[in-house]
Amino acid sequence: MTRGGDVGDLQEQADQEFLDAACLALRAQADASPDGAGAGDAAVGGAVDDAPGTRSDPLRELGWFDLLPELGDRDARVAALTLFRAQGRELAGTRALGALLAQPFLAAAGLPPDAAVATISRTSARQGKRLMVVGDVADPAGAIGMAGTALLIDRPGHGAAVVPADEIELWPVAVSGRLELHEVIHGPADWVPTVDEEHAAVARARARFLGRLAAALEILGAAEGALALAVAYARTREQFGRPIGTFQAVRHLLAWAQTDCVALEKVTTAAAALDGVQAAPPRHDEVVKALAGRNGRRVCERALQVLGGIGFTSEHTHHHFHSRVLALDALLGTSAELTHGLGAWLREADDDTTASALWTAPRLPLLPSKS
Amino acid sequence: MLHITRSSECDPYREDVDAYRAALETWLATRPPVFEAAARPIASYEQRVAVSCALMQVLFDQDWARYGWPEHLGGLGGDIRHRAAMWEALARHGLPAMALFEHLEILAPTLVALGDPGLIGQLLPRFLRGEQLWSQGFSEPEAGSDLASARTRAVAVDGGHVITGRKIWTSWARYARWCLVLARTGTPQERHRGLSAFVVDLTHPGVEVRPIEQANGTDELAEVTFDEVPVGPERLVGELGGGWRVAMHILAHERGTFGWYRHSFLNRQLLENREQGTPAGDALLGNALLDLAAVRAASGAAVRAHAAGGTLGPRAAFVKLMLAASEQAVNDWTLASVPDLAVAPNDDHTAVCRQDYLFSRIVTVYGGSQQMQLDTIAKQILRLP
Ligand SMILES: Cc1cc2nc3c(=O)[nH]c(=O)nc-3n(C[C@H](O)[C@H](O)[C@H](O)COP(=O)(O)OP(=O)(O)OC[C@H]3O[C@@H](n4cnc5c(N)ncnc54)[C@H](O)[C@@H]3O)c2cc1C
Repeated sequence: MTRGGDVGDLQEQADQEFLDAACLALRAQADASPDGAGAGDAAVGGAVDDAPGTRSDPLRELGWFDLLPELGDRDARVAALTLFRAQGRELAGTRALGALLAQPFLAAAGLPPDAAVATISRTSARQGKRLMVVGDVADPAGAIGMAGTALLIDRPGHGAAVVPADEIELWPVAVSGRLELHEVIHGPADWVPTVDEEHAAVARARARFLGRLAAALEILGAAEGALALAVAYARTREQFGRPIGTFQAVRHLLAWAQTDCVALEKVTTAAAALDGVQAAPPRHDEVVKALAGRNGRRVCERALQVLGGIGFTSEHTHHHFHSRVLALDALLGTSAELTHGLGAWLREADDDTTASALWTAPRLPLLPSKS
Repeated sequence: MLHITRSSECDPYREDVDAYRAALETWLATRPPVFEAAARPIASYEQRVAVSCALMQVLFDQDWARYGWPEHLGGLGGDIRHRAAMWEALARHGLPAMALFEHLEILAPTLVALGDPGLIGQLLPRFLRGEQLWSQGFSEPEAGSDLASARTRAVAVDGGHVITGRKIWTSWARYARWCLVLARTGTPQERHRGLSAFVVDLTHPGVEVRPIEQANGTDELAEVTFDEVPVGPERLVGELGGGWRVAMHILAHERGTFGWYRHSFLNRQLLENREQGTPAGDALLGNALLDLAAVRAASGAAVRAHAAGGTLGPRAAFVKLMLAASEQAVNDWTLASVPDLAVAPNDDHTAVCRQDYLFSRIVTVYGGSQQMQLDTIAKQILRLP
């Protein structure tokens, strides 16, 4: 057969093209930003220095917001989600994760997709429940043309509300990984839900599915970025008079890392092709997110081993990829807690539920049926 | 035995895998006795073989097992997706393993693609019906990972070849009528270019099959010796000197699409043992679920590629590694969950769990060891120096 050795079909080619385009757009933005180091670093230090309108918005350039109302369509959904893989690879920092998480709520309220960015709730061991927001939302000077972004806050049991920027305080959280993270301070006193609990419950399940899938894809992209650094290094770094990539021990570390990336790629792309949480097997978003955290961490660890000492410096890019994986693993359910929770659930679920979780919905990755 | 090929114009199942699956599941839901017998845990491997063959006979006679195989070779048409759907349905309804019918998905696709149509047209239906089983004679005492150093010789004579040599680790040879043997038709210096593949009748004088008792208590493996065993020209699979291509064709299935079949039975194992789980094993169970999801997605893509006429090439190594990891993850959890597995495997269920657990520790060796798979990825995919 002429295609010999290639699993790719036209569909996969089109998806690949979107991935490449998204990487390019994000890279262009990073190059154009003041210190050329990507938006993340600039923001923690001083995005406020940007003059209004000086930063282009890659999400708008890619027409990404136009995809959000079309998530029921396979191609639009895959394209919208693929952005996150590109974001991981390029270490770009957009507000896409929050925008995606907000989408089902905004749609329920009849609001446009860029009306607000959702916060993510996180339980801190020391401080209790905290709200976080990811990406370039803190833009008081309107450098990317947004005069302050409204935030969507979801309170399970009490509905969800779109809160205008001026009712919110944002505290930058310093994390590595060129990831802009803010803690959100908002008093609960003036709570007026935009989406009532009945509708919010439905939106919540949809949002969580999409958000976990997106975070998993971003972890995949970051892991691929770390691995690419290590593979390139193994080709050129010499010890004992030869490239370290000629030693089987090093080769096998990289081959395992590649296998973990491929596993995650196959699972995330199959899940992205599913039409949302309704079409997915029970708790599939947790499976995808848990796998991402586990595999993503393993890939970064193996890449670090191959890079040796240089990979452990702040100057080297590896730690940005690694830290981004760790930060994303910590949001929307860590791999450790999800994996444990899935085990407990599987042990207690009835046979039919278990069967549908195991023989998951690509109940036919085999389709489409020949016609 | 003769099967009448039905008029094939308007077979709804051949064109529509979903309709085929739905009909098969309806039949399985009636719990046919022959299926029930095969679905029970049985410690004795010999008995397991017997109930598996009985089941295959019924699956064939009722046509289910004929879909996915070419009509001119005794099948009813359709493609690999029918087979993928059939084994998945069997696993979902409670069948614990494919057992020695694994070769239907490892060997048979290659026999169909590269074997003599007259010969395979005769033998494939007998295999599908569980009458005459198959084995794969590649490994030798001195040729394990380094398969290209195989020494078993096939000497050209009038009317074919004569085979002499020794094969080892030949799964299911004890129960098999046929063996696909990789033998040297060129010189040892030619390495992989000097090999050819032949179909050998294991009941022929000059063949000796000695079972090897395994560490897990089953005896699937065997050592097979050939002392001047003649084979006719129709027994050559692929071209003379083309044995390596045949072997790679087979191993591509054993590493790629095979993950689809095997993971379904791992799902079954997990489902069966679930009741015995305790909270202490929850993380292991969750972990197994992640690995199974990965194999499913990756091998599903392999099946899809195959149905579209492609193959995974070296990327089959990924599926092989994921499959082994998932088999070990499932069994890590089994070990933690099934009481008495290690100390008192007396009842059939515990005994089978123990066999499965121990077997899962060797899955990183057969079909190309884990190290060979990693080497393939490093060289052919990462293109390391
Ligand atoms: C359960 C089971 C069923 C089998 N069924 C069949 C069958 O049906 N038909 C058949 O033909 N064969 C079968 N085999 C044989 C199987 O293919 C071989 O066991 C396998 O190819 C490895 O060969 P070996 O056992 O001689 O180990 P060796 O090749 O001696 O390897 C021993 C160890 O050394 C490692 N090693 C070897 N070379 C290298 C290297 N260059 N770099 C790094 N590490 C290396 C291997 O990875 C392995 O860990 C079966 C084996 C098992 C265990």
